[in-house]
Amino acid sequence: MFETLKTNGMRKSFVKSLLYALPMFILTFFLMTGGKPDFSDPSYSLALITAFVLVNILYFLMHYTGKTDRYRVVLFVIFALTLSFSLIRNMIAIRHSMSFSQADILECRIPFCHLVIPMMIIPAAFSKSIIFPGSIINGFANISSMVVLWAVATIVLGRGFCSWGCFYGGWDDAFSRFRRKPVFRNINLIWRWMPFAVLFMVALTAALSLIPTYCDWICPFKAVTEYEQVTSVESAAKAGVFFSIFAGLVVVLPVMTTKRTQCSYLCPLGAINSLSNRITPFTIKIDKAACNECNRCVEVCPVFAITKEDIKNGRVSVFCSKCGKCVDACPRNAIHFGIRGVPAGTMKNFSRNMFLFISFLFMAVFSAGSVVNTLQSIFKLITG
Amino acid sequence: MKKIRKLAGITWAFAGLLLIVILFPGLTGLSGLLAEAPFMKIHPRYSGGEKAYEIVRDHYTLEIRKPVFMGLVKDRKEGFVQLDWRGQIPGVINDTIDYDRDGVSDFSISVDTASNDTVLRSYNEKVESTGISTRTSYGWAVRVNLKN
Repeated sequence: MFETLKTNGMRKSFVKSLLYALPMFILTFFLMTGGKPDFSDPSYSLALITAFVLVNILYFLMHYTGKTDRYRVVLFVIFALTLSFSLIRNMIAIRHSMSFSQADILECRIPFCHLVIPMMIIPAAFSKSIIFPGSIINGFANISSMVVLWAVATIVLGRGFCSWGCFYGGWDDAFSRFRRKPVFRNINLIWRWMPFAVLFMVALTAALSLIPTYCDWICPFKAVTEYEQVTSVESAAKAGVFFSIFAGLVVVLPVMTTKRTQCSYLCPLGAINSLSNRITPFTIKIDKAACNECNRCVEVCPVFAITKEDIKNGRVSVFCSKCGKCVDACPRNAIHFGIRGVPAGTMKNFSRNMFLFISFLFMAVFSAGSVVNTLQSIFKLITG
Repeated sequence: MKKIRKLAGITWAFAGLLLIVILFPGLTGLSGLLAEAPFMKIHPRYSGGEKAYEIVRDHYTLEIRKPVFMGLVKDRKEGFVQLDWRGQIPGVINDTIDYDRDGVSDFSISVDTASNDTVLRSYNEKVESTGISTRTSYGWAVRVNLKN
């Protein structure tokens, strides 16, 4: 640990790290409390303070240690787990089940998630309507709010959304870290293009059938959120598919490959986010003068975004989710967070500070609701 | 040229910072604006379509929606009409419906709300079968499948 810290050029002193963490401290306080902290409920107050302290410690450690992914993944995984927990808890409290009924569909009460977005674009353009049984503006996870959150995040972070904003990504990110070394190596890089094929397929089938086909038939995260009530052979088959894909692509393959296989091989929104990587202000840059082509970044990249050719060319591919794992792993600080237009190898600290502030603020505030909700439930359970 | 690109990149990065900082406080306003866009309405396939007319009974109201055939670019051959019973619905509902409002009854429907048995009698060749029939928060809803 000490050796790593000593050689990491992004590390700051304790006082300097505190100063860098101060704006995040102030902003997260205002954004997590809405500017009006209410400490009348003890369990809520304790949950809010715990979540607030946790995110700010993680952010401080990113500056103090110079490591990004090591602390990002902590909040990212907590986000995924707490979102599933709070959603399931809420559903069981209201519906006594993890499944939604036909009445929920008829009354448009299904929470919207960003994975529907690739399928709603063509029908929205042609039929001027949204093919999802949710609420446009009112209630939890309404369509307008979720679209705005995703749109702004993908413009600013590009595919960084997949590592800093997606409340599902933490699942396969967590499982991909179970083993230090992969069992399956030498995976053909052609599979990186699979999400574009899935995107094309689901966008087309959704447009033709007016059904969000990915959510209806493929989405592995139905297994940890909600799914259609099993009332027929068809709905039983769907539930079987959800659980099988979850087990295969989110649990088994990430453990075996140490890669985020669901994000890399299936997610259609990841494909759209890859496209927005072309316009986002932040990129990962390779300083060819400092790089000794040790290929450590190629080995650790969880989304197959860096190849040996990419290193020779001095740029990472559009698949990069800006998780920072390669940046943490590079022994020479040759690969770093950068700003579009700024030459590689220059303004490394400034670029990293800007990107970390933006991406971490998004994740901290976006995750706050589910983290606080889950912590409150745990505290209530402990105190009876 | 390099300096201009560098300056543009840094400006874009600061714009991104501003966007994220105002995103959460401004979320209600931004999503309200988006909700007013012409395409931000739920497809009738999910919402059940607009209300056509209603029949008021002693303890409940029966709402008959407009038939839904809407496809991606043109109407489909198959669709449905949604019926909503709102209020204090009886144990067994019996109603006769003229969904196209031509003055002739198109089908009658009987719902046993305890057993969820729904029986459809068709008087119009365009009326095909019963689709969804379920208890809702406001009473009961049935979708009757139609041919266009």
